[in-house]
Amino acid sequence: MSASLDTAARLRRLLAILTWLAQEGEAPIDEVAARFDLTPSALVAELEMAACCGVPPYSPDQLLEILVTDDAASTRVGTMLARPRRLSPREGLGLAASARALLAVPGSDVDGSLSRALAKLDRALGQGAIEVELDAPDRLDAVRAAMESGERLAISYYTASTDQTGERIVTPRRLFASEGHWYVDAWCEVAGGIRRFRVDRIGSASGAGPASPEVLAEPLADDGAADSSGRGSLGAFVPGPDSRRVRIAIGPSMAWLLETIPSARVVEEDGRVLWEVFVGGDAWLERLLLRLGPDVEVVAPLEDRALAPDAARRILARYR
Amino acid sequence: MAQPDRLERVTDLLLALLDASRPLSLREIAEQVPGYPGGHDARRQAFERDKRLLRDEGVPVLTVAIDAEEQVGYRVDPDAYYLPDLGLEPDEQAALNLAVAGVHLGEPIGREALTKLGMGGRWPRRGAPLPLVDLPMVDGLPALPVLFDAIRSGATVGFSYRGEPRSVDAAGIRFRGGHWYVVGLDRHRAEARTFRVDRIDGLPEVGAAGSSELPDGFDIDAAFDRDPWHFGSGDAVEVDVAVDRSEASRVVTELGPDAVVEHTDGGGVVVRLVVTDVEALISWVLDFLDHAEVLRPDAVRAAVVARLEAFVSSGGPV
Repeated sequence: MSASLDTAARLRRLLAILTWLAQEGEAPIDEVAARFDLTPSALVAELEMAACCGVPPYSPDQLLEILVTDDAASTRVGTMLARPRRLSPREGLGLAASARALLAVPGSDVDGSLSRALAKLDRALGQGAIEVELDAPDRLDAVRAAMESGERLAISYYTASTDQTGERIVTPRRLFASEGHWYVDAWCEVAGGIRRFRVDRIGSASGAGPASPEVLAEPLADDGAADSSGRGSLGAFVPGPDSRRVRIAIGPSMAWLLETIPSARVVEEDGRVLWEVFVGGDAWLERLLLRLGPDVEVVAPLEDRALAPDAARRILARYR
Repeated sequence: MAQPDRLERVTDLLLALLDASRPLSLREIAEQVPGYPGGHDARRQAFERDKRLLRDEGVPVLTVAIDAEEQVGYRVDPDAYYLPDLGLEPDEQAALNLAVAGVHLGEPIGREALTKLGMGGRWPRRGAPLPLVDLPMVDGLPALPVLFDAIRSGATVGFSYRGEPRSVDAAGIRFRGGHWYVVGLDRHRAEARTFRVDRIDGLPEVGAAGSSELPDGFDIDAAFDRDPWHFGSGDAVEVDVAVDRSEASRVVTELGPDAVVEHTDGGGVVVRLVVTDVEALISWVLDFLDHAEVLRPDAVRAAVVARLEAFVSSGGPV
C-alpha cells in the first residue's frame, strides 16, 4: 500500500497517472503500476478511490470516467484531473533548457522530433527566450561513434597540465558536457583505469579494434545516467591521466574559485582549514595558484611551494 | 471506510474549486466536499491545511472577497491552472523525455514538468546511450527562473550587479562556455547589455507584466556579449595581447577572427580586446602562463608585472 507517502505525494502521483493515462486512452494495469512504481493492487485502490471523487453538480468535465477492469485502466482526455497543467517558471525553464541543450549536441536530433517538440513548447513558454550553446570539438563525432559501437580508439592527447602530448589507447565509456567543455570518461590502457579526457584536447583519433567486454563492464563513478529522477551530477571527480593531491591554504575571499573545481574539498590539518585538490600536472597548479593570488600558500607537498614563484619569474621574463 | 482518506477530500476540494463559476465560501465548500469536521474551528483548520497543500503543489487557489457572511471565497481559475494542449506527438514526447533524462540540472524539475504534461513515470530506454549534458541551473542560480518568467511576461527586472543597481528589460537567456547570461536593454544606460547570472546579487525584483519597453526586433544574439573583461563597470580600454603559436588557435576560436590585429612570424597572433575589467583580463592572460603577454597599454602591462612580482617576493628562497 501507499501508506508511506503523504497526501501531497499521493495527489501528485494520482495526477501524474491520470494525465498520462488520458493520453494513452487505455493501458494494462501492470504497465501503469510498473511505470509509476506501485503494486498493481495499490494502483487499483488509488484509481478506484479517484473514480469515486466528484462534487455536485457533477458537470461532465468533472466526472473522471476512470474505468478499471481486471487487467486494464482507462480514462478520457479533457477530464478535469487529467488535463496538462501549467508549468512553474522553474519547470518551464528546466524543460526548455533541457531540450535546447540536447539540441545543441551535434547529431542528437536526426529525425527532427526534438525540434518539433521545442517549437510547440516555445508557443507556450515564449519564443527564443532561452538558448544553449555547446562546443563541437573536432573529435566529438569519432569519440561518440566509438562509444556507441564499443570500439577502442588510438588517440593523441594534449595534457594541458603538463604541456605534453602523448599517445594512448582508450575505450570511451561516457561522453558528457560540463562547464562549457566536452569530456569523455574512458578506460585508458596506459593508466589501467577509467580516466577523464577533454575532447577538445584529443588531437587525432583512429579506430583500434573492438573493446574488451571486461572494460565495457567496468563500473563508472556516480553514473548519473542510471538515475531517472534527474538528480545526480556528472561533476563527480575522476582523476586525470596522472594526478597527485595538493593541500593549499587560502583566505575565505577566494574560496569561491576552489568551489568551482570538482575535485576540491575542504580538509582539516593540525587545526587549520585547508583545501585539497587533485592536480594533474604542474602547469595546471601554476594556473590555479596565479589566479588565487599571492596570498595563497601551498602546504603540501613542499616541493610544490616553488611552483607559483617560478611560474611568475618565467612569465616576468617576457616583460623585461 | 473507517478512516476517511484525506486524499479523497483533497481531490474533491480541487474538483469543487475548479468547477466553481464563482468563489465558494468555506460553508459552501463543506457542503459539497465530504470529510470536513463539523465544528467551525476544526473545519477551518482542516481546510487551511488542504489549501496549503494544494498551493504547495502549484495549484493557484485564489482567495477573493465575497458578499456573504464569511466574507472570503475560494476558487481555482482554470485558465491559470491548465496549459493549452501542446499537441505533442508520441515521437516528440519521446524526444523530450530523452532530453530530460540526458540533461542534468541539479534538480528533477524537467521530470516534474513532463509529469504535468502527461509524460510522467518511467520511460523505457531505447537505443545507444546519448551524451549527457551538465547544466548548472537550479543550485545556486535562483535568479534564473525569475528572469525566465520576467521575459515570458514582458516585465522589467531590477537587480544589483557587482554592487550597482540595474534596471533591465530582459530579452533572452543564453548558456555559453559553462555560464548563464541574461541579455537585455539596460534602462539607465539605454544600451544593450549582457550580465552573468551567477554575478547577480540575490533575487531580481520583477515589475508588472508588460512593463518592459524592449523595442520590437531587439536582436538578442547581436547584443549578446560574453567576454569576461567586458563585465566590469570601468572605462573601456583597448588592450593588445600577444599569444604564442601553441595557444593561438584556442584564442582565435574563443574570440573570433575579428579580434586578431596581427599575425606574428612564429605563428602567433596579437589580439585586441576592449576591457572594462582589468582584473578579469589579468586572470585570463595568466591562464596562458608564459604563452601570452600584454603588449599595451603600459598601465595594464604594469598591473600584470606588479601581480607577478608579488608572487616572486612571496616565494621565499629559490
